[in-house]
Amino acid sequence: MTDGVFHIPVIETERLVLRAPRESDFKTFADFYGSERARFVGGPTTPELAWRILAMETGHWLLRGYGRWIVEEKATGLTAGMVGLFNPEGWPEIELGWDLFNGFEGRGFATEAGRAVRAHAYEAMGLPTLISVIKPGNTASMAVAERLGAIREGVFQHERQGPMQVWRHPAPAALKAGAA
Amino acid sequence: MTVALSPTPVLETDRLVLRAPAARDWAHWRDFFLSARGQWIRPEGTPTEEAAWRGWAGVIGHWVLRGWGPFVITTQQSDRGLGLVGPWAPINWPEFEIAWSIWAPEHEGRGIMAEAARLARDHAFRILGWQTAVSYIDPENTRSVALARRLGATPDAAAPFPGTPPITVYRHPKPEDLA
Repeated sequence: MTDGVFHIPVIETERLVLRAPRESDFKTFADFYGSERARFVGGPTTPELAWRILAMETGHWLLRGYGRWIVEEKATGLTAGMVGLFNPEGWPEIELGWDLFNGFEGRGFATEAGRAVRAHAYEAMGLPTLISVIKPGNTASMAVAERLGAIREGVFQHERQGPMQVWRHPAPAALKAGAA
Repeated sequence: MTVALSPTPVLETDRLVLRAPAARDWAHWRDFFLSARGQWIRPEGTPTEEAAWRGWAGVIGHWVLRGWGPFVITTQQSDRGLGLVGPWAPINWPEFEIAWSIWAPEHEGRGIMAEAARLARDHAFRILGWQTAVSYIDPENTRSVALARRLGATPDAAAPFPGTPPITVYRHPKPEDLA
């Protein structure tokens, strides 16, 4: 019986492991989504809504064949964030998205995980391009986009969250040539 | 290295096949979610395709996070999804629920849901080990109320429910009373 079985690759970087979401990630996920830090990604929300978001992020893998990984810090085994490819119905195109959970910001984890996911998307999946969607005012996220060499190119009007900045990542050929 | 999301059982009767929700069910779920029939299961307000997609991804994710979840109802003749039935309990749900939705009116009236719900409830009791089960139903959803009663469920006025009233909690017969 193969229905419902889906394989999510594990990606390792120097300090991080990217793996499938699971229910034990929920508390950390809900703490982030319940905090002011989630104001740029649709929060703050109740734990009930956070659970549905985590379920949605997980189901995204089966519906699209790709999705966002839980980022685990190798040194501690702690759930540190969620980074990966996001493209629900109504999204402009495949996004490289990153959230760092509370207490894991400021250490370059989003950049490290984002770079690894982008390499996976270009090399293993053969994607030709990627965007990142960032809410105005989210300067920490913009700094990650800049470190990854992405360039701001326009605005996406989200039906619930309003206007969002679209940042374009360097294409695979540009990355090979040495950008970001 | 890879990891598997949850493998899922398949439940069968002579007529029906209950299987895991999948990407190929998306369009049928969406049409249901956006139709008037979807009013009983979706958030208040004007339904959108975006919300429908996130809802369907959430149904699939429920299986992964819990290790169990609701089944898509199909027949022995066709894999086309007709509805959803079975175990449902997102975080902080007061109790484990047997939930159901038939996606299009032409599939009502043939006893499909009663048959499917009995099968899913039996699975929850025998395989998942539930000791009791409820169904949360808006009293205006008369078809659903009729089905609950047909399954032997009765109102439990003392039981808590999720969301905003009015909602009737229908409690199913205990496993030993169904045997």
